Amino acid sequence: MTGLALLVLVLGAAIFGPFLAPYDPQAFHPTVRLQGPSAAHWLGTDQFGRDLLSRLLNGAPSTIFFGLGATLLGVGAGSVIGVIAGTAGGWIDSIIMRILDGLLAVPELLFTLLIVTILGGGMGQAMLAVAIAFTPGMARIARSSVLSIRTREYVLAAVARGEPSHYIVLREVLPNAAGPIIVESTIRVAFAIMIGATLGFLGLGAQPPSTEWGLMVAEARQFMFRNAWTVAVPGVAIAMAAMGFNLFGDALRDSLDPRRSH
Amino acid sequence: MTLGYLVRRLLAVILVLVVVTFAVFAITMILPGNAAVMILGEYGTDEAVAALERRLGLDRPWYIQYFDWFGGVVVGDFGQSLRLSQPVADVVGDAFWNSASLAVTALMSVTIIAIPLGVLAAIKRGTGSDLIIGIFSYIGASMPEFVTATLLLVFLAGPALGLLPAGGFIALNESIGGFASHVVLPAATLGLILTAHISRQVRSEMSEVLASDYIRAARLKGLRERRVIRRHALPNSLAPAVAVISLDMGYLLGGIIVVEEIFAWPGLGRLLILALENRDLPVIQAITLLLAAVYALSNLLSDIVIAMLDPRVRYA
Amino acid sequence: MSFNKIPRRSTLLGMVLALAVPTLGAAQGEPKMGGTLKISHSTRIATLNVLSLSGPAEYPVIDMAYSGLTRIGPDSQPMPDLAESWEGSPDATEFTFTLREGVKFHDGTPATSSDVVATYEAILDPDIPASAASVLNMIDSVEAVDDLTVKFTLKTPFADFPTSTAHANARIMSEEALAGDPAMLETVVNGTGPFKMESYDSARITRLVRNDDYFIEGKPHLDAVEMHLFPDLAAETTNFLSGDIDVMLLVQQADYERIASAPGVNALRVPSGRYVNVVMRFDQEPFNNLKVREALAYAIDRQLLVELVLEGLGRPAHDNILSPEFKFRIDTPEKAYDPEKAKALLAEAGYPDGLKLDLVASNRPAIRAQVAIAIKQMALPAGFDINVETMPHDTYLANVWRKGNFYMAYWGMQPTEDATFNLLLTSNASYEDTGWNNAKFDSLIQAGRSTTVEAERAQAYTEAQELMLAELPYIIAFYEDVLTASKDTVKGYTLNPINRYFYLENVWLDE
Repeated sequence: MTGLALLVLVLGAAIFGPFLAPYDPQAFHPTVRLQGPSAAHWLGTDQFGRDLLSRLLNGAPSTIFFGLGATLLGVGAGSVIGVIAGTAGGWIDSIIMRILDGLLAVPELLFTLLIVTILGGGMGQAMLAVAIAFTPGMARIARSSVLSIRTREYVLAAVARGEPSHYIVLREVLPNAAGPIIVESTIRVAFAIMIGATLGFLGLGAQPPSTEWGLMVAEARQFMFRNAWTVAVPGVAIAMAAMGFNLFGDALRDSLDPRRSH
Repeated sequence: MTLGYLVRRLLAVILVLVVVTFAVFAITMILPGNAAVMILGEYGTDEAVAALERRLGLDRPWYIQYFDWFGGVVVGDFGQSLRLSQPVADVVGDAFWNSASLAVTALMSVTIIAIPLGVLAAIKRGTGSDLIIGIFSYIGASMPEFVTATLLLVFLAGPALGLLPAGGFIALNESIGGFASHVVLPAATLGLILTAHISRQVRSEMSEVLASDYIRAARLKGLRERRVIRRHALPNSLAPAVAVISLDMGYLLGGIIVVEEIFAWPGLGRLLILALENRDLPVIQAITLLLAAVYALSNLLSDIVIAMLDPRVRYA
Repeated sequence: MSFNKIPRRSTLLGMVLALAVPTLGAAQGEPKMGGTLKISHSTRIATLNVLSLSGPAEYPVIDMAYSGLTRIGPDSQPMPDLAESWEGSPDATEFTFTLREGVKFHDGTPATSSDVVATYEAILDPDIPASAASVLNMIDSVEAVDDLTVKFTLKTPFADFPTSTAHANARIMSEEALAGDPAMLETVVNGTGPFKMESYDSARITRLVRNDDYFIEGKPHLDAVEMHLFPDLAAETTNFLSGDIDVMLLVQQADYERIASAPGVNALRVPSGRYVNVVMRFDQEPFNNLKVREALAYAIDRQLLVELVLEGLGRPAHDNILSPEFKFRIDTPEKAYDPEKAKALLAEAGYPDGLKLDLVASNRPAIRAQVAIAIKQMALPAGFDINVETMPHDTYLANVWRKGNFYMAYWGMQPTEDATFNLLLTSNASYEDTGWNNAKFDSLIQAGRSTTVEAERAQAYTEAQELMLAELPYIIAFYEDVLTASKDTVKGYTLNPINRYFYLENVWLDE
């Protein structure tokens, strides 16, 4: 599907990008500054004469692995919490749910902004902030997934057999709960990429001279009327990366859930 | 749903808000620097900073500062902005109305555009129109606001076309035309992702409903297609759309921050960024409280609306 | 490529006046009364407290609403403002100012010497944050001799005193306001300036209207002035070009060409001594070694920096903190970009394989990081491996400023040589940040301020500059021009390169 193709392109850029860059992404070429696409510079140059294509390829890992990393952390932490709540039940579950409800009351970007302001700007801090902001939502999903599986026959059978709880959780509950979690994660990656770029744009994520795409857009804004390519190139790239994950996630959801016709 | 349920929900909201304010307070206390340092900037000698801290009450222990603030809020006094030296209520209040006018415009436009789009896509499933709408939805849902905003600025407000003003704000009570021309781009930016989500949601629900027995029966009865859609299919598809709108509220509240910054719209988002940069604690608290309350209340409201639309839903 | 000779000050001053004051004078016709001037700005007017404000958009407001004893004119010399004349004792330790008669504050109360005394006492009060304190701290006492006469007695002689009293944050406030609630000072304006405050909304518009009782007859010409906030520069530029705004207070380098070539627009470029300096600490490795500092100085292509970062709207500097506009500035030898020489110097200093460094740049204003990045690239061939670390401004202020080893600072132009040196470079400077602590330099600056004899001052300042250039506490690569723009219909608008005085009482609209 288109989603898969786009995803492969995007991940390929993330892994191989920096090696494919034709120029040093930081090198200045002052004589050709702020030019549109040309034979020497396929996507044009910025205000220092740096090659936009090279900067784009160089920034692919920061942008995309940010999304993957933040989501992985958030999903990991959230799933653990959600599974604990779902399997333990009782007052542990109640307390965890109350706390989650409280955290979920704060809109995600706002939450991320607050956390990133504490931690100070920077890519690592931003990634941690996004992961923390994702955790409550993922915990909720993991928990409801676990809750619906708890009452399935194979689980009840395992309980009747007298299996120890960790066996039940690991061998019966988790593999079946994984489906919705994975689907949600893929779509979250898209969202994380967008938030990461937004933080880079606001100056709270990646810092200069990083070539993270959100930061590229922010730095290029003052030149956008002189060379639109400086903002269009990273902007469109962000959209394409997010779109790849979105499409793939949707396709995944459709294939895993037979009820939803497409 | 019962009155008891509503009351319990409201109490839960209030409790959550209290916890949120405490958390925000704690967070801001940990940050390096404080409002006094930020106000004086590079002209702040140690004595000057200390003097300003005394005047702003920042030298008091943290629990005193918090309870002082909390006590004020309970009687409706949100204190003074540390940076702007105006009552927080005034500053945040003005910003709130500006943000609200933008958000409401965006939501209204989204509802007017997204629902018909979703319906159209569902009716014409599998055809070219459906595909086009689908592509647009995916692209729309993948563009962060700052990208959309920047591209819209470059192409519509730039020197080439100059169709719309490149940001700025005119109050609704000053000039409706002025307000309208300035609100188009920011509302469009905010609305894009929402439109994408909601139209897809409507489409998918609508498709299911259209294939259901209920509708087949209506068609067999000989009712005109239009009537079938409007009177029978649509109301049943709307419930999930309302759910999506409320989910997206959180998204809207976040997106508004970036959009206001780029389009110079004097709302809560811009104010929050300024307050965060300057460690203006009373303003940060007030805005967070306000946004969290709006979010929580909109969730509650949408739950009520869903219950009204879909009688199958029951709340304990 | 690079300038061959830096023009003498007077010629340059002539050029400044010619560039910056094109519409003053009879050639433009008689000033018309009336109209509202709309000014756009991109930083918030967060406070109106004269004593401590520092925002670029706040200065025009107090320049309109308040008067100081003296004021810096377009020629960078002190001119009468609230004081109509002044006299200094021959040894420059006593200064007596005679105030204009019949001046009233906007609320109608008379402005007298007791208000002046109250203002200066507030400035000198260590518990009250006051930006002007650093240039007025030599005041021993201030007394009101009579209603219209104020006498200052200084601890040490200070020839530039009338320039100090023109400091933008040393404007005269009423005794009543200073004795009242300090919080009121942030939002209430009561001055003796040509315009009085009508409304203040820090999120959007601040509006001032004509003071009909202004002490200069026939001025101001305008009915009102409005300051419009546009925190987004693209939005600000577009609104200016579409004709809604009359004056764009500060223009970004990136937009200057576009604005200058637009029809109906008058773009103004005022050469100024504003600089971005590289701070290197004397008391830490590796910058305690002069050769390392020199090496870095030769590893920077100053002309290229002007072209890339300033879009050509500035002048290359060769590490002299004083720009050509200053009276006592010496001719400064040029340092050409010479990576080979830099490399050799580094080797002599004990780093034959190059040197790894961390350069910190705050993110406000963005120019710091841009210059840091450019320096990183340019210094590469000389063997410098510089890692640029940007950080939010608040973190920078708390952790790096005045403590860090190697970072970018940013300062506007000061009115006098003494103010410039005393701000940063003397041992007890308010914002001292390099640990230079050079006793000889201190004594030279002291000598320069203590006498009124020009030749002696020139001698002292010449030696001070030579010392500075030899020891290199800072690297200063360029002087940034101040950029502003107005519509053709705006007449009489000009800026002082210090960027604190706007003379809006001279402006009129030709519509």
